[in-house]
Amino acid sequence: MAAQILAVIIFVLMFVLIVTERIPRHFVTLGCGALMLIVVFGICMRSSEAVMKTLNLKTFLDSNFWILTTGEESSTGINWATIIFIFGMMIMVEGMAKAGFFRWLCLGIAKAVKYKVQSIFLTFMIMSFILAMFIDSITVILFLAAVTVELAQLLKFSPVPMIIAEIFCANLGGSATMCGDPPNIIIGTSLNYSFGQFVTNTGLIAVISMVFVVLYFYIVFRKHLKSDLKGEKIKYPEPKEAITSKRSFAVSCVIFGIAVVLLVTHAQTGLTVATIGILVAVLTLITTPRHAVELLKKVDYETLLFFIGLFVVVGGLEQTGILELIAGFIAKICGDKILVMIAIVLWISAIASAFVDNIPFAATMIPVIKTLSSTMGVDLSILAWTLAVGTDIGGSATPIGASANVVGISAAAKSGHLIGWGKYCKYAAPATIIVIGISMAIIYVRYF
Amino acid sequence: MDKQIIISISREYGSGGHAIAEDLSKRFNIPLYDSNLLEIIATEKNVDKESLKQYDEVPRVRLFTRKVKGQTNSLEENVANMQFEFLKKKADAGESYIVVGRCSEHILKDYPCMVSIFILGSKEAKIKRIMNLFHLSEDDAIDKIERENFRRKMYHNYYCKGKWGDSRNYDFSINDSILGLEATADIIEDYVKKRMELM
Repeated sequence: MAAQILAVIIFVLMFVLIVTERIPRHFVTLGCGALMLIVVFGICMRSSEAVMKTLNLKTFLDSNFWILTTGEESSTGINWATIIFIFGMMIMVEGMAKAGFFRWLCLGIAKAVKYKVQSIFLTFMIMSFILAMFIDSITVILFLAAVTVELAQLLKFSPVPMIIAEIFCANLGGSATMCGDPPNIIIGTSLNYSFGQFVTNTGLIAVISMVFVVLYFYIVFRKHLKSDLKGEKIKYPEPKEAITSKRSFAVSCVIFGIAVVLLVTHAQTGLTVATIGILVAVLTLITTPRHAVELLKKVDYETLLFFIGLFVVVGGLEQTGILELIAGFIAKICGDKILVMIAIVLWISAIASAFVDNIPFAATMIPVIKTLSSTMGVDLSILAWTLAVGTDIGGSATPIGASANVVGISAAAKSGHLIGWGKYCKYAAPATIIVIGISMAIIYVRYF
Repeated sequence: MDKQIIISISREYGSGGHAIAEDLSKRFNIPLYDSNLLEIIATEKNVDKESLKQYDEVPRVRLFTRKVKGQTNSLEENVANMQFEFLKKKADAGESYIVVGRCSEHILKDYPCMVSIFILGSKEAKIKRIMNLFHLSEDDAIDKIERENFRRKMYHNYYCKGKWGDSRNYDFSINDSILGLEATADIIEDYVKKRMELM
């Protein structure tokens, strides 16, 4: 009992400290993780087994960690596969950014649609969606918003509608694949779902929702999508000028292509996301030896440490049985009404993710849905897709719901265009409700 | 002016520090940057100045904001950063100026030509000044002074390591209620000139 109470206190403390941002979040999760290991596992439970299970270091020696052969479920504790995959993708994305890939792509599309504001709006939304399927949404928005601001200054239109729509589409695109958004990577690696399974389930929901989202944003923003140019001559930026080195550019495109192919086929090849992460990182580093150290330095180690600490804290909740209690509570509320349970998981995930970081939320909910699945007799995959969609999409509703929102709003603000809570939520919150509603309808129709 | 000089004036609300800054601007014949900074920035960026001004020297609300890789959705912080960048850009360009508030004593601390001043005032003098300026009752003036000083303190202490008003963070702190605004400006002018001789 003492272990359970302390585990909850440490978890709540971690959440509060993350939200208040007084201490860098990686220090928070690592500190709370250390507390969990020492106080809960060491002093209260006196269980070295719980410590080992949570640290999960044995997983590296398991051949299934690198090449999946038996299809066994991953063990609990630190999800090293997620951490290694994200590390690998960070290096690859840094390599692509350094070569000028993202800027080239954005400017190339703007040029292809002849710099027409409405066409840029539509194509950038679609590009944001597609890129975020494979690359983290922060990077996607970082480049897309910067080019949007640049084009807005050139063509004299407000970048605000475009940036809000891009942010939303990046979050939606991230929900479509296993590697699009951190909650999906964690769900996929924890429950052993493949890229293909994500695409055919959350991907389908995302693509159908995208049609409605494009229509919605076009309708609400159409009056703002006009250039104030009055016949002035403009010198448009050339896409090819964005490329810093033709060789690096070609290499980064090839590596990106390899990453996509490996991810799409990983169920067939048996290569796990950890192996794919290592492969793309090694490929990037050996093909750009002069910049290898620089790329390694640019890796966001703070985020990786944040993940490690977070998994330990969530592991503490799991080992002490707290998450089973939560699952039992949800099951009790729902009775035998599975549709109600789906609605609860979807909407609670969405609402929680709109206000708190969706990564700790998803990591906490995975053991909960595992227990719910076994006690209520619901297919675990349905709960997994529900959780993924809820956490990924819910984050779009408010300026602080997802990292991409913060980065996009910041890019707009730096150009003098301020997007406050009111302005952001006015457009993004209804879109979020629409998508969550569509997702719920698809889940009900398809799986029940 | 041959030598570059940047005078950073921080002040308690109601002390008359802004009036002294205006006076010094005329005496040294250098531009004064205060809330007008945002007007210049708004013109540069071709945006509405009023939309920026509502976030001028306002502390960040932590509960409704997040930071990701150094980026934030806090409009207060973004507006503050715009001003900090503007001040640094002007300093890098070798321009002399006076800046009121905006954490300038901290933001510009690495520039050897920067002289930081904190102007305070006695409670009675500040109340009297605010009552006269805004035609307020004594109680309302006290409320306004406390509110504004709290806001300035919160804003300052979020961006700066040193505490707002702590004399250790400034080159020179002076209570202008004792000698009055003009005589205080004389003393600051003299101090700045002596500092310039050492530069």
